[in-house]
Amino acid sequence: MSRYTYDNNDIIYALASAWGNSPIAVIRVSGDGSIKKFSELFSASETLLKAFSHTIHYGKIIDPDSKEAVDEILVAIFRDGRSYTGQESLEINCHGNIIGIEAIFKVLEKQGFRSAYPGEFTFRAFMNGKVDLTQAEAVMEIVNSQSEIAHSLALKRLEGNLFNLINEIKIKVVDALAVIELQLDYEEDEIIDETHFPKEAIEGALKRVESLLDTYTIGRLYSEGCRVVLAGSTNTGKSTLFNLLLKEERSIVSEIHGTTRDYIEAKTHLEGIPISLYDTAGLRDSKDSIEQEGIRRTRGLIKESDLVLLVVDSSIDGYKLSPEEQILAKEEKTIVVCNKTDLGNVAVLEGSYPLSAKTAEGFKTLKEEIVKRLQKGSPKTDGSTVVIESARQKKELNRACEALKHSLEYFKETLPLDIIAVELNEALDALGSLSGEVTSEDILENIFSNFCVGK
Amino acid sequence: MDYDAIVIGAGHAGIEASLALARLGNTTLVVTQNLDAIGRLSCNPAVGGLAKGNIVREIDALGGEMAHLIDSTMIQFRILNRRRGPAVQAPRAQADKFSYHRLAKETLEAQKNLYLFQDTVVDLLLNKEGNKVEGVITQRGHKISSKVVVMTTGTFMEGKIFIGSFVSASGRIGEPAAIGLGSSLRRIGFEVGRLKTGTPARVRKSSLNFDAMTEQPGDEVMLGFSFRDKKIERPTLSCWVTYTNEKTHKIIEDNMDTSPLYGGLIVGQGPRYCPSIEDKVVRFPDRLRHQIFVEPEGLGTEEMYLNGISTSLAEDVQEAFIHSVRGLEEAQIMRPGYAVEYDYLNPLQLYPSLETKKLANFYVSGQTNGTSGYEEAATQGLIAGINASLKLQNREPLILSRSDSYTGVLIDDLVTKGTNEPYRMFTSRAEHRLNMRHDTADLRLTPIGYDVGLKSEQDLETLKQKVEKLDVIKELLNKTKIGSKKASDVLRQPDVSIDDLIVEIPSLGEFERSLLNQSELDLKYSGYVERQNRQAQKLNKMEKIVIPSSFDYSGIVGLSTEGKQKLTAIKPHSVGQASRISGVRNSDIAILMVHLSRGKKDGGA
Repeated sequence: MSRYTYDNNDIIYALASAWGNSPIAVIRVSGDGSIKKFSELFSASETLLKAFSHTIHYGKIIDPDSKEAVDEILVAIFRDGRSYTGQESLEINCHGNIIGIEAIFKVLEKQGFRSAYPGEFTFRAFMNGKVDLTQAEAVMEIVNSQSEIAHSLALKRLEGNLFNLINEIKIKVVDALAVIELQLDYEEDEIIDETHFPKEAIEGALKRVESLLDTYTIGRLYSEGCRVVLAGSTNTGKSTLFNLLLKEERSIVSEIHGTTRDYIEAKTHLEGIPISLYDTAGLRDSKDSIEQEGIRRTRGLIKESDLVLLVVDSSIDGYKLSPEEQILAKEEKTIVVCNKTDLGNVAVLEGSYPLSAKTAEGFKTLKEEIVKRLQKGSPKTDGSTVVIESARQKKELNRACEALKHSLEYFKETLPLDIIAVELNEALDALGSLSGEVTSEDILENIFSNFCVGK
Repeated sequence: MDYDAIVIGAGHAGIEASLALARLGNTTLVVTQNLDAIGRLSCNPAVGGLAKGNIVREIDALGGEMAHLIDSTMIQFRILNRRRGPAVQAPRAQADKFSYHRLAKETLEAQKNLYLFQDTVVDLLLNKEGNKVEGVITQRGHKISSKVVVMTTGTFMEGKIFIGSFVSASGRIGEPAAIGLGSSLRRIGFEVGRLKTGTPARVRKSSLNFDAMTEQPGDEVMLGFSFRDKKIERPTLSCWVTYTNEKTHKIIEDNMDTSPLYGGLIVGQGPRYCPSIEDKVVRFPDRLRHQIFVEPEGLGTEEMYLNGISTSLAEDVQEAFIHSVRGLEEAQIMRPGYAVEYDYLNPLQLYPSLETKKLANFYVSGQTNGTSGYEEAATQGLIAGINASLKLQNREPLILSRSDSYTGVLIDDLVTKGTNEPYRMFTSRAEHRLNMRHDTADLRLTPIGYDVGLKSEQDLETLKQKVEKLDVIKELLNKTKIGSKKASDVLRQPDVSIDDLIVEIPSLGEFERSLLNQSELDLKYSGYVERQNRQAQKLNKMEKIVIPSSFDYSGIVGLSTEGKQKLTAIKPHSVGQASRISGVRNSDIAILMVHLSRGKKDGGA
């Protein structure tokens, strides 16, 4: 049921700019009839309908239910055939904060627009002859990204734990649905088995879906940002790495105190994640009272941080971590960086990331690891390792959550079982899109193995 | 050519296939092993049931016969699952077995263009190239030619029955199997497999103690399966319920060694949804009792059918365990229960038209395709007959979709996924279940039946009037206000029924009961139907992208090896069907779509 259709006729949207806070964000929309459909949400709808292709228009995007303006926007329109996808398209330039973008997404969904699968815009471009179809290799690439989404392939990317958890929930729902389908597929007097409404199974599934949804930290991550601390002894190259991290993005450096014995804070972005970056005083025993105060602050910062980059000088022969550094290195939120690889004579510690902050060699890998760690959800959460990461996962889990709630409500309102089954199927469809489809054969299999049926 | 069409077999599939062919103007010969066995109800004496009742009404809506046969021969009628929701309610009727058979035979005999002949088909006549059927060869040596052949052999092709250690080449007890045809099909190159099913003992009514059982009467009002038969006036008989007990189970367990199933004599796969009593005892050892429905086989017979305890244990064991059941202590067994194993054709070898891919003009339907149930067989027979006739007229085949009928679901499942156990229809197999209520079969299918040529102008006119009335009721409900609310909104509330509204809107009382019910359901379910359709919608769009049957998969770069093999073998008629084939990946479908759309743009096929 959850197979992706490769259907080119509905209207899709996606954020074209990076997912994060920025001055301006761009949302791309493609599909036949999209201009007319969008005009119904636009304050200057008449202007938009009459406008020529490749023109830009100012107006407000209006929530069709509340009639309230959601954002001020600029809309570029592309008439049929004259866009990237070869379809009628729009580009919405809106304010670039996450909450505002999500509000616009909500309005678009209300209008029947669908969130695009990765690669789907390019796929449409292929289908409409906008990209050279004979480039078989490129086709395969796109096709692969298509299939990834629709089906379980995408799920290989899922954390094993999350995959298992979703499967467990799915089994609960299948169990519940089997009890209902049993009653729909066999006559009342043909079943002697206990067939109570599977309220507990549904409630259990719902509870787990809800707690999984609670782990969705990415919203928090992107709106509140996170703290990354550079720690390590003096002269290991922390400041060089600090500057390197700032050089990558447009950043604002604001020195808190001018002394190197205190710390420096800078604001920057990594892959759209707002980051407060701290360059700290070296960790070591010191008798200097000012330095001691700096070290105390450093320890405080490390405690409150989301991620620690422990920088060591790998060029020093026989370098050893101090006892405090050793403890820090074992913490989950710590990445050990072996700096100064450009000096040769390198002793890279196990599990650490080699880097030359000077030549930027190894920086790309390190940066990817930093982003990966941050996106994994904050280690400050309740400590459970299973978290959901993507907006798509959240969306599907929300769908499952709503459907399960409906099924319980309908039971309370004594609606017939065939209607309740629609909701449970909806929940399975949503869960199935995250961890593989459930077919009617699976349900029947469950019935035949758990119930003694048949005259 | 001797005939336009030959139909092999005169069971529930053969009846529908031959009537459809003859009614559409083709001279049609039915070859059956025994004219006295036309339309026999080999197993339970009932027609309809959940999902199956919907199928019977679909057959009627398309112009088939089954509904008329049961309407004229029923001895009990019930609407099942009244409490569980209208989408899964269905009619079921107990049949008078003898009358059913007799009426079936009379109907065939009365049909213009239809000829009946008793003999056994043992081989097919093929053209020189060996890729097209041209007739049949019979046991007595007749070579009969025809343009199309529909095969409906049921359990008879190389059939074998088992009772304990007794084995006999039969399709039903006392009736010889059809030997030879299975081997011929294997020789031609068809993939032929074995399936198994079973039936319980029949006992004598006057030997039973009904005081020890619970009576199960039918509904007071008998309704017709056919949209033409409004109300049925027929004598009605009760069924009775009793239970097995621990003693019964002990006897069965102790004598399991007499079972041909557990002894390994039977190789065919049996149905999991309808297990034998020995299966139930083994698989559910914690259960202390199993239900038995004691059902009359007809008005003029003492035979009673013991529904729920089909078995192939030795006869003395059958007698012992039956006698351990309350009410059956003195039961005289008139016919023993038995298992039957038979040849079936893997239905993946068929197009959705039910024509075989290997042999042109050769159609297969019914239990031969791996299904079980009279209704499943009949509707396939009807579709095979219709499509054989359409082929003779050079018209496109009739392929019903998964969204408009159980028949569409049935055939799509068979030809797309195949089956390795007897396939029974369940409502849960249908994604569009809410749209496939039994009372809307005429709205869904009668226009198609008319287009095919089996439904008359008058049938269509009747349907039109019904639709108009439904519109009037809908309008009435939308326009009338009750208090400040629209009547239709009031009716949407779960605790309000249309009966409550008749008081407020007296003009509703002028309409037939069935139309009011239908309007109520349409209204109450509209929101949920929408939701269900959204779930199933993705599917629909791909259904419409047709793949030409000549499409060559071998040259397509990027298809997975398994996908290529499966697509080449199954030859799906649409991208939708292709997407349901196991082993075909989403990336295969995407590549296929790119190629199909490129073909269109280049102007090629």
